[in-house]
Amino acid sequence: MKQLKNMTDLFDRLNDLKIAFSYGEKYIPIIQSIIDFMKETVPLLENINSSISDTTNKIPKAKDQINNVSNATELATTEILDIVDSISLEIEKVENDAKAILTKEEEKRKIWVQIKEILKKNPESENLVQKYEEYHSVQPEIQKILEVFNKTRNDVNNIALSLQVQDITSQQLAAVNHLIESVREKLTSLILHLNESEGKEVDLVKISAPAGAAFDPDAEYTKSKEKQDVADVLVNNNYTKTSQDEIDKLFS
Amino acid sequence: MKKVILVADDSPSIRKFVSFALTMKGFEIISCADGMEALEKLPTEKINLVITDLNMPNLDGFELIKAIRSNDEMKEIPIIILSSLAGSEEIQRGIEFGANSYLIKPFDPKRVVYEVSKYLN
Repeated sequence: MKQLKNMTDLFDRLNDLKIAFSYGEKYIPIIQSIIDFMKETVPLLENINSSISDTTNKIPKAKDQINNVSNATELATTEILDIVDSISLEIEKVENDAKAILTKEEEKRKIWVQIKEILKKNPESENLVQKYEEYHSVQPEIQKILEVFNKTRNDVNNIALSLQVQDITSQQLAAVNHLIESVREKLTSLILHLNESEGKEVDLVKISAPAGAAFDPDAEYTKSKEKQDVADVLVNNNYTKTSQDEIDKLFS
Repeated sequence: MKKVILVADDSPSIRKFVSFALTMKGFEIISCADGMEALEKLPTEKINLVITDLNMPNLDGFELIKAIRSNDEMKEIPIIILSSLAGSEEIQRGIEFGANSYLIKPFDPKRVVYEVSKYLN
C-alpha cells in the first residue's frame, strides 16, 4: 500500500517536471530573445551615454558664447550711448548759442526802431533803410534752425530709448543660459547615475555661476504704455487698497 | 547746488541711459552696479533721490529699499523703481517696501525726468 502511494507521488512529480519542461520549451526562445535584445541594447545605451556626456561637455561653450554675445552688445550699446550723449551735448550748446543770437537780434531790433525814427528826417536814407531791413532780419532762419535742433534732439532721445532693447535682450539671454544650465545639471545627474551603475568615474566640466545672475526671464521690449499704466494706477493708489477690477481692466 | 541721484542697476547701458537723461537736466549722477554697492555709497554721499532696479546681484532692489526705509538718516529719500518686472504683484510689493514711483523698462527718458523733478523740484 505504501509502495503504491510512493509510486503515485513519483508520477505526480514526473508530471510536474513534464509541465515544467513544456513551459521551458515555450519560454526559452523568449528568454533567449530578451538576452539577444539586451546584448544589442547595451552598446546602444553606451552610445547614448557617450552622446549625453559629449553634449553636456559642450554646454559650457554654448553658455560662454551666449555670455560673449551679451557682453559685446552691452559694450556696443554703451559706446553708442556715449556718442548719443556727446551729440546731445553739442546740440544743446549750439541751441543755446542760437537762442543767444535771437535775444541779441531782438535787442538790435529795438535799437533799429529808434535809428529809423532818426533817419526819417533824412529822405535820402529811405532806400538804404529799406535795403538794410531786407538783409538785417535773421530771426526766421534762426527759428527754423531751432526747430531742426528740437527735432534732432527728439530723434537722439528715440535712439537712446531704442537702445534699451539691449538690456531686455541681455535678461532674456541670461534666462536662456539659466535654462541651459538646468539641462546640463539634469544631464550630469543622468550620466552620474548611468556611470555609477557601471562603476566608472565621471570627469565633467564644472561651470562657475555667472556673475550677475539677476535677470527677468519675462523681460520684454515693447513701446506699449499698458504696463506703465498699470504701475501708475498702483502707485497712485499708494498705501490704499487697489481695486482688483481696476488692475484687471488694465490687463484685459 | 546740483541735486544728486544714485542709480543702482546691474546693466551698464541702463545706468548710462538714466545718466544721459538726467545730467542733461542738471542732475548729478552716482552709479552703482548692485544694491550692496548702493548701500555702501549712500551714507558717504549727500543723495537726494534713489533710482533702483529690482533684479540685481548681491543685494536686490527690494532689499535696498528696505534698508533705506529702515535707516533713520535715509528713510525720507524718494525712491523710484526702474524695472522690467511688470507684474502687479511686484509693483505692489515695491510700493509696500516704500518706493515712491515705479517705472517699467523700456522707459521714456522724459518720464524719468518728470518723476525725478516731481520729488526734487
